[in-house]
Amino acid sequence: MADAKSFYVSVVTPEKAVFEGDARFVAVPAHDGELGFMRNRAAILAKLDVGRLRIDTEAGEETFFVDGGFVEMIDNQLTILTEDARRAEELDREGAEVLLAEARAMKDRGEGTTAQRERTFKRARTQLRMLR
Amino acid sequence: MANRRVLVKRRKASRNIRKITRTMQLIATARFQAAYSAAVAGRPYTDKLAQLVGNLARAASGIDHPLMHQPESEKRAAVLILTSNRGLCGGYNSNVLRKATEHLDELAGRGVGCETHMIGKKGIGFFGFLGREMDSTDAEIGETVRFEKVEPLANQLIERFTAGEIDAVYVAYTKFISTARQAPVVEKLLPLEYEAASAGETGTAAQYEFSPDPQSLLSEILPATVRVRLFQSFTDAAVSEQVARMVAMKAATDAAEDMIKRLTQQYNRARQTQITMELLDIVGGANALA
Repeated sequence: MADAKSFYVSVVTPEKAVFEGDARFVAVPAHDGELGFMRNRAAILAKLDVGRLRIDTEAGEETFFVDGGFVEMIDNQLTILTEDARRAEELDREGAEVLLAEARAMKDRGEGTTAQRERTFKRARTQLRMLR
Repeated sequence: MANRRVLVKRRKASRNIRKITRTMQLIATARFQAAYSAAVAGRPYTDKLAQLVGNLARAASGIDHPLMHQPESEKRAAVLILTSNRGLCGGYNSNVLRKATEHLDELAGRGVGCETHMIGKKGIGFFGFLGREMDSTDAEIGETVRFEKVEPLANQLIERFTAGEIDAVYVAYTKFISTARQAPVVEKLLPLEYEAASAGETGTAAQYEFSPDPQSLLSEILPATVRVRLFQSFTDAAVSEQVARMVAMKAATDAAEDMIKRLTQQYNRARQTQITMELLDIVGGANALA
């Protein structure tokens, strides 16, 4: 339970709450690099990048894949808003490879903007890296 | 008597119907619970996002964003209509469609060019029957709405709005207010209207650290707001559909029950009449002999 070093973390998507509970340390993939959070961090609102989210709880470490979004920390309440978040254990290799193939196909067809393509690539690669 | 057999047959038919409608009611109830918990599960995200927009707006001292630009005049509007893929849900589809058609006619009356995006087989069928034009149709997004399916649609609308191809986006769907109340509504999705009231209490003037600056954060958060709003319309519509089906099937089951009662009564009466008649025959015959 909550002790002197922990703070409340929730990871929510439009579909569901993926994680809710206390943590001692959280590392989020912010838009300009990884950002670490501990108790009593000053209030912040930051944009997230596609990447790996790590939550250290008393029970152990949990990792998630997050697809961009935002992070807010205020009064020892950390909220991560993202449009897609999945536990590392829930990722599947096939899905990630399909995504990578799709990203390549997008590039070949010259579909979408560069930013969109980059994002799809990043999504696929992050997932594959996390599966390794 | 032939009449009696007919009554027995009709009663049997009514019983079968009751069995079916009751099952459908139970299925709808189960689906409603699933749809409802899915809709509720998304609330924290939406609420938090709205609160963040409020905080940001205060920090950035006002919002100025392409998604909020009111065009001087509406020339082209996109209207999304959310209907169901299946029927047997009472007035659910006809209510949304009536509301949507009214809105379309009203826009057309103001000289606004409309494009219609129809979601759901029922609406597609209805507009096809009326011979109304639809610019896109989608019967894929089913009862279990996935965010990843709604997202591309929202992104496309956002892009076209920002590019100035369309001046407004409306969504016609059935809003889920409570289990007892659902209302067909037409809501304006774009341009975003910023309600200061719903953006959280003014008291929380938190001193935030922003990364990147509030203005660029805002330009990320607003599209997310649009996407989640559209997604919520879909989940609301899905919940309302199940409620409508539950109610419709309950009514059908009750009606079947009434029918069975009435038919049983008629049957008993017919039987009694026949017995009485036969008795009279016998008594009459006996009297004639005596």
